[in-house]
Amino acid sequence: MRPRWLKVFSDLTDNWLRTALVVFSIAVGVISIGVISGAYVIISNDMSASYAANHPMNVELRLSTQFDKNLVDTIRNMRGVAQSEGRNIFAIRARVAGTTQWTSLDLVGIENFKKVQINLLKPISGQSSADKKQLLLEKKAFTTLNAPVGSTLEFELSDGTIKTLPVVGIVQDQTTGAGDFLAPPFAYISTDTLTYLGQKDGFNRLYATLSAGNNDEEQLRQMAANIKDKVEKSNLIVSRSRISKTNEHPMASTVQAILGILLALGILILFLSSSLIANTLNALLNQHLRYIGVMKLIGGRQNQIIAMYITLILAFGVIALLISVPVGGQGAYALAAFIADKLNFGLLGFRIVPLAFIIQIVIGMAVPLLAGLVPVLNGSRITVLRAISGETARESGSGPAADLRRETAWERFSTGLAHELSHRGFHIPRPLLISLRNTFRRRGRLMLTLFTLTMGGAIFIAVFNVRVTLFDYIDAIGRYFQADVTVTFDRPYRLEKVNLSGMKYPGVTQVEGWAFADAAVLFPDKTVADNLVIMAPPVDSKLVEPILTAGRWLQAGDEKAITVSESILDAFPALQPGQILRLKINGKEDDWKVVGIFKFVGQQGTIAYGTYGYISRYTNLVDQSISYRVVSSGGHDAASQQKLAEGLDKYFRDQGFHVTEARSGKSTLATASESLDILVTFLLVMAMLTASVGSMGLAGTMGMNVLERTREIGIMRSIGAVDLEIMRTVIVEGVVIGLISWFLGMLLSFPFTYLLSTIVNLAVFNSPVDVHFTWVGYLIWLAVVLVLSALASVLPARNAASLTIREVLAYE
Amino acid sequence: MISTPNSVSSNIPSLPIVELRDVVKIYKSDAGEFTALRGINAQIFPCEFLGVIGKSGAGKSTFLNMITGVDTLTQGDVLVRTEGKEVSIHQLSENDLASWRGRNLGVVFQSFQLLPMLTLLQNVILPIDLCGKYSPRASRARAMELLDLVEIADHANKLPAYISGGQQQRVAIARALANDPPILVADEPTGSLDSVTADHIFDVFEHLVERGKTIIMVTHDTGLQPRFSRHLLIADGEIVIPPDSTGAVSAPAAQAR
Repeated sequence: MRPRWLKVFSDLTDNWLRTALVVFSIAVGVISIGVISGAYVIISNDMSASYAANHPMNVELRLSTQFDKNLVDTIRNMRGVAQSEGRNIFAIRARVAGTTQWTSLDLVGIENFKKVQINLLKPISGQSSADKKQLLLEKKAFTTLNAPVGSTLEFELSDGTIKTLPVVGIVQDQTTGAGDFLAPPFAYISTDTLTYLGQKDGFNRLYATLSAGNNDEEQLRQMAANIKDKVEKSNLIVSRSRISKTNEHPMASTVQAILGILLALGILILFLSSSLIANTLNALLNQHLRYIGVMKLIGGRQNQIIAMYITLILAFGVIALLISVPVGGQGAYALAAFIADKLNFGLLGFRIVPLAFIIQIVIGMAVPLLAGLVPVLNGSRITVLRAISGETARESGSGPAADLRRETAWERFSTGLAHELSHRGFHIPRPLLISLRNTFRRRGRLMLTLFTLTMGGAIFIAVFNVRVTLFDYIDAIGRYFQADVTVTFDRPYRLEKVNLSGMKYPGVTQVEGWAFADAAVLFPDKTVADNLVIMAPPVDSKLVEPILTAGRWLQAGDEKAITVSESILDAFPALQPGQILRLKINGKEDDWKVVGIFKFVGQQGTIAYGTYGYISRYTNLVDQSISYRVVSSGGHDAASQQKLAEGLDKYFRDQGFHVTEARSGKSTLATASESLDILVTFLLVMAMLTASVGSMGLAGTMGMNVLERTREIGIMRSIGAVDLEIMRTVIVEGVVIGLISWFLGMLLSFPFTYLLSTIVNLAVFNSPVDVHFTWVGYLIWLAVVLVLSALASVLPARNAASLTIREVLAYE
Repeated sequence: MISTPNSVSSNIPSLPIVELRDVVKIYKSDAGEFTALRGINAQIFPCEFLGVIGKSGAGKSTFLNMITGVDTLTQGDVLVRTEGKEVSIHQLSENDLASWRGRNLGVVFQSFQLLPMLTLLQNVILPIDLCGKYSPRASRARAMELLDLVEIADHANKLPAYISGGQQQRVAIARALANDPPILVADEPTGSLDSVTADHIFDVFEHLVERGKTIIMVTHDTGLQPRFSRHLLIADGEIVIPPDSTGAVSAPAAQAR
């Protein structure tokens, strides 16, 4: 190998720490981009592909009344309909035999598992179909109940009877309940088992797929309206209808929005890592200026020097890619698998995403090249005289043969200030003065370090603020679930009866019956725009504290009036309080006035509130309800609420009530906020990555600063400075840089918090929410920069201090 | 092998190989101007072993820097005649100058300036590699020959850190000769060596002069004067020794006479 390339190779291998720093700086940016872009592509493709592969329904109708096979056949024979199937879906409580903890399940009755063509089930273990008195568990239900194949589940019927079914298989259902975080876990039985569980024969849910246009929203809505009409002509009541594209998972846009945010953060990390690379390469070139001078002296031309260092940079890039491409590929799939598991969809298998692979290669080569170009060009331009005479470290004084440099404004200011202060009796200790002056000696490096650390810190702090904003928002959403327990019965009971009975339970201070109605919001052409669940508390209820964004809350005397959650704006972007929505409730169409719009967590369908007085009349359930909110004087934490729920469940059953479910307020909130937990976890991972890049920047800078000052340290020791003094000088310098960056990061975190919060909230909630700040991020980041800056300074300083004065002074 | 000029003569040839004409170098700083060289005129002829002697700060290193072109001059001209061409080196761009220097001028420093990450052999091959004057195979043979010339071939595969200062200076000389330049410039090459080692380095230089090289060496040690074929004394940026019998130098002192 030619000596110049040997030199390049030796530059690569001589200083492992430096090589590791540069390689890691490149790799961290490439990995984050590789992971996110790979996951983005995998999820974009697999989420909808695996959803489509399971033949999802295009139209779903929920009926309040049972229907039979004839209707299913009639719908199948409609023009434009490819397939139609019926299901019988009902809620029931289940527990593993021998345990006490009840879990609410939605049991799906399927007539013939072998002939299912819509919402296919993917077998995971055991049987893929259930015969009479057998049960299949959906993956989520299997996880919740921890009931493997072979175990037995007990079901509690509304009359209190306990029935058992053996679990014969675990399946994955990617379609039923897709996009609905509030959907309970599913289990599957044959319709032959319905009567065994006290259910009527027949179906209550109709699925249909279209023969054409099943990805065209307009056509889907039109066909849904046609099918609905057909069903209603059979004197059946459609309580809810929903359309879904075949090739698009209902959560696709939300997940892609979240991945988009992560990608933006990934790009920011890449940006930070490039400034770190620039800093390290700058230092490397600075250390090599003497060699560059020698090479120019013995005949090396500028382009040869540039070629050598560009090759070195590309070698750094190649090593980084060798690490980051496999890690990025695995990470992308792991991230995609994590999201897929959370959202219950399947992946098509591990693969390297060509686009992500190419992006990583381009970034891994281009970013260090761009970051290193300026240092390399500057380094290659150095004159031989400057390089040889030791004038390279400009701050270390002028060489005897060089043009004497001028005193900088900063030097004039700092020396003038020190002079002025000492004149006035303020004596800054010399070591401290040296530290402060050293801090600003390499201003280019300082600026890059400050930039990296400041940006890293600002993002780190902002992520904590966004996290607390999200949590505060979840807490605010909790105000919609203020009751300790919601008890749901399988039939309406008179308010007075439940109230009297409930208030006798120890600790119960309030029992409040709410009315409910399922409504379809109609477009002017009568197609369904959205589905509403209208909850109707008493008008003076204290159990709902809404976050209103427009209009007002419900008042006594409001009739045909609702407040509606913001997700209605998807279908009616210009909707304002005072405007009218056409609702269809129990087959009856009417105009309802929207009096207010409130915030809520996005979920399948939209939530609305009406007044109990009017809705109970409208649904012919005056002074009755199937759902009661219970408040107790005991603890309101999750454990106390759960205990109360279990107690009330038993109590009401013992009193002869037919209880479907007693659910604690906190668990409802936890389900509603599950999606946010994923986002917060991702954001924290990104914060850690930015923190690690920023920390490496500081560690690298301090390491380089101290290394370059080895000779100076030797001189200080030769004139009497003890090791402690030297260490203190260096540590103070690191801490000063850390503190400046923390202060700047703190300032920058405010706009970052607003920006990130707005983007995240727009993606998740479709509207911005109030931003909240927490001191946690600020304090953690302060601790991180202080500890890191001290550590990053101490290690190289200790190395320098351990050399003998002769060794240090001879240091080149 | 070391090439020898066809017409080496003990007498002064007609044209100097290096010629300084009214060279002035002024450094500027906040403290004001400092004149390092004050209108230097000098001629150096092929196969001379010229000593430039002066105290610290006299301007001798600046004098050398004007010849190597590593520093710019304020006024005047430096002409070098090699390869049958006359080059005004300060007219060359930094890039062209590097290339020209690689072929025509070997430089030896007091602090050796070897690249610590390369072996002695690779250090010597490096200028050849950069200038491309020999093929890779021939360059290795040539480098070994040069290391042999300076009696350090046994250590060819060692790194500079593992040999003594005197040995490093020999390697620096071998490296300076790598592209077979006619001129060798040495700045205090024996400054950091003990007297015995310094003596050996002088032996090498004398041997090279015998083989046709022109050597210009800067030193502050007046005791070395007898070892040069001719010497100049510099003080305060001026040549203070009158021209010797060859009449090769014209300096203010001589002009005044």
